[in-house]
Amino acid sequence: MDDFLQYVELDSFLHKLDPRTKFVFFIVMSVLTSFVRSGVALLFLLLAFGVIWICGRIGIYIIVLAKKVKVLLLFIFLLWLILGVFRVNEGPAIYRTTLSLLNQEVTISLDWFDFYKGAVLSVRVFLMISAFYTVILSTNFSQIILGLRSWRISYALAFGIGLVFQIIPIIVKEFAIIMEAQSSRGLEVEQCSALAKMKNYVIISLPLMFRVLGKGHAISMAMHYYKLNFKVKRTAYKVIQPTYRDAVFAVVLTLVTAVAILLQIRFYIPL
Amino acid sequence: MSFSVNSISYRYSAEHETVLKEVSFIIKPGQVTAIVGPSGCGKSTLVSILSGVIPDLVSNGEMTGSIEVRQDALISVVSQSPENQLFGYGVEDAIAFGIENLGLDNESIVERVEYVLDLLNIQHLRQRSVATLSGGQRQAVCIASVLAMQPDILILDEPVSSLDPNGKKMIQTVLNSLKDAGQTVIIFDNNLEWSAGIVEHIIGLCAGEVVFDGDKPAFFYDADLLRKLAVTVPQEVEIYHALAKSVPGLNRFFSLSEAKQEIGKLISPSLETTGCAPATSAESASEPDVSVVQTTGLCKTFRDGFNALIDIDATFKQGRVISILGQNGSGKTTLVKHLNGLYRPSKGSVTYRGQSTAGKSVAQISKDIILVFQNPELMLFEETVLRELTFCARAQKIDFNEAEALEVLRRYGLLSHREEFPVNLPMGQKHLLTILSVLFSSAEVVILDEPTLGMDQQQKQLLQEIIRQLKANGKTVVVISHEIPLVFQISDEIMVLNNGRKLMQDVRQILAGCDELFEQINIALPPVVVLARYFGLTPECCDVAAFVAGVTARLGEANETQAERGTAHG
Repeated sequence: MDDFLQYVELDSFLHKLDPRTKFVFFIVMSVLTSFVRSGVALLFLLLAFGVIWICGRIGIYIIVLAKKVKVLLLFIFLLWLILGVFRVNEGPAIYRTTLSLLNQEVTISLDWFDFYKGAVLSVRVFLMISAFYTVILSTNFSQIILGLRSWRISYALAFGIGLVFQIIPIIVKEFAIIMEAQSSRGLEVEQCSALAKMKNYVIISLPLMFRVLGKGHAISMAMHYYKLNFKVKRTAYKVIQPTYRDAVFAVVLTLVTAVAILLQIRFYIPL
Repeated sequence: MSFSVNSISYRYSAEHETVLKEVSFIIKPGQVTAIVGPSGCGKSTLVSILSGVIPDLVSNGEMTGSIEVRQDALISVVSQSPENQLFGYGVEDAIAFGIENLGLDNESIVERVEYVLDLLNIQHLRQRSVATLSGGQRQAVCIASVLAMQPDILILDEPVSSLDPNGKKMIQTVLNSLKDAGQTVIIFDNNLEWSAGIVEHIIGLCAGEVVFDGDKPAFFYDADLLRKLAVTVPQEVEIYHALAKSVPGLNRFFSLSEAKQEIGKLISPSLETTGCAPATSAESASEPDVSVVQTTGLCKTFRDGFNALIDIDATFKQGRVISILGQNGSGKTTLVKHLNGLYRPSKGSVTYRGQSTAGKSVAQISKDIILVFQNPELMLFEETVLRELTFCARAQKIDFNEAEALEVLRRYGLLSHREEFPVNLPMGQKHLLTILSVLFSSAEVVILDEPTLGMDQQQKQLLQEIIRQLKANGKTVVVISHEIPLVFQISDEIMVLNNGRKLMQDVRQILAGCDELFEQINIALPPVVVLARYFGLTPECCDVAAFVAGVTARLGEANETQAERGTAHG
């Protein structure tokens, strides 16, 4: 999908929220998913996220995200599964045996709990990523800058962050065009070995680097044309104001947080 | 506010050559000035100096001379790539960005945003996001964002170089509004074709020196100067100079109405009007029809549901130059990306010499059908010009002769740069180099997407030579270009696309008679075609040489008739 990793213009509840409300959502969810380790609590959070994505009409973009990060999630799942094999857990085992290795007895135990642990950690990571991505999908870089500035973050930093989100989609697009341009001249990037593919990606990265440098130069010149001076006080054309939607969202967010904490306390199984 | 540049000389460092030499000129208030010159003449350096980038951002150069301008004067620049200059997601955000930097109160900012939206007649764009704008709209918003800062002098750096005819018309309208409002404007562009009706004062730069400073008629009248500066001028000016060689004492004309009037004194206009109806021409009937590439029922629907191509049946014949015309979004690039396999059809097929291209990789197809993108910077990555030239041959594992490669570089003025880093070449030469590299490929079909981007007139002539050479070697050349006079000059056939549909494909002489078709796609026919039809010289005249030959032949006939009458009376 061409619009991966960038704001998607939609007319939704989520898009109409004050950017600061979404920043708070991101912070709360990042903290929450860092300490919630209960499968039940995480499932509840996933459900709550699902409702937010449906209300924000961004479900399809989250599916794209899930596809992009599936290898990472699978890696986390398998890693914990393999590590769990060398530890005997309580509860039912799928397969358990003891081997003698270098005169030492080693127990290999594949338990249902290992699957649970792998799944819990994968869902946690996915929720962390998608909390950030939910904000990116529903907040454009001008709103990000306005929101950050209203929190008294320096304009230089706010502008820098906004600029990154303005440039990322451009670079993603440029990379795709360079790939097309080079393959059109005969560079094989489809039907070749993994090694050849990697080598060709390195070749493609060179014009990309020049383009990025060129863009950086053009942007710095444009900043000069617009008399941008971070030492001078800047005024603003648009003013952001929270509305009833933000109040509703804040109440929902508080409830979701409270329920998740309760579920964590009630159903936590040490991993 | 007048503005004078006094004996400015500049070089980027002690090791570099002097880029600008004793440059002096005066810009009068409220005037629209064009600064022209060939690729590498110092235009970009002058933009940097006038805008203050030199020495504010680039401070290691050596500059002498002075610029006389009021202390608090604001000089703003609109660059050729608005996407690098628009800071803001929405149109309003982007327009307000510069004014916010001036520290004005909210009321004044709102007032200025409204003023520029009204002045440039772009109120309808205010709620749009910048990313969804067309090229012309984006450039107009960029101009608005700079104008909102109320600059004393507005500099436009090649503002229409990547725009389609609709985009160019939009910028022409914007510039006319600025001229009426008394805004001082300097346009840095070697293409005067689009701005000739607006520009009042021209400064010619060559090798860093001012070689002309005067009004438009004096500039257009000097054929040697036009050649020296490699300026693209309106085709009427080219016609005048070509015709003046055969017709001594021809009065000057630089516009279509003047041309009709002055040539009308020599030959009488035709009473007949031609249309699209004549189906065959001598050229189409006589040449063999060997199809190389064919599309059948080609449809492309993108994931968002947009129908980019609808049922395209097209044939690309061997040894022909076929141009594809249409506004941005008409499906031109989408079509050619199907030919070389970058896009796969939603429905229909593409065949090369009767074989389907489905299942082949783009690199495999490139051995038969090669596509050169419009932006050379996306393609260059070798460490030397010579290696870049032979890139296609090496990628496709085709033997090549280095002596032959050096000869190509010599012929196209790149031999002295052969060991240079290609990225450092001026834009026009970079583009020429990427196009030249296809000479060493095995492809039978060469597709050039906007090949004139960044080229001066001299380089455009070299491009025509390359296309002629490819054609002479039996290759099929497909060209996408918004330079309509060039399209009519080089093409055997023209295909017209509109909203994803093919409206017509035929030999250029037949297309030249299709007024309604060109009205439908909102593209003007080249002046030479309009004049040829006005004087009854159609269907053959699609370029200046043919037109001049036609006029002189008619003149000869008229003289003979007159002489016969004279003899009869005698």
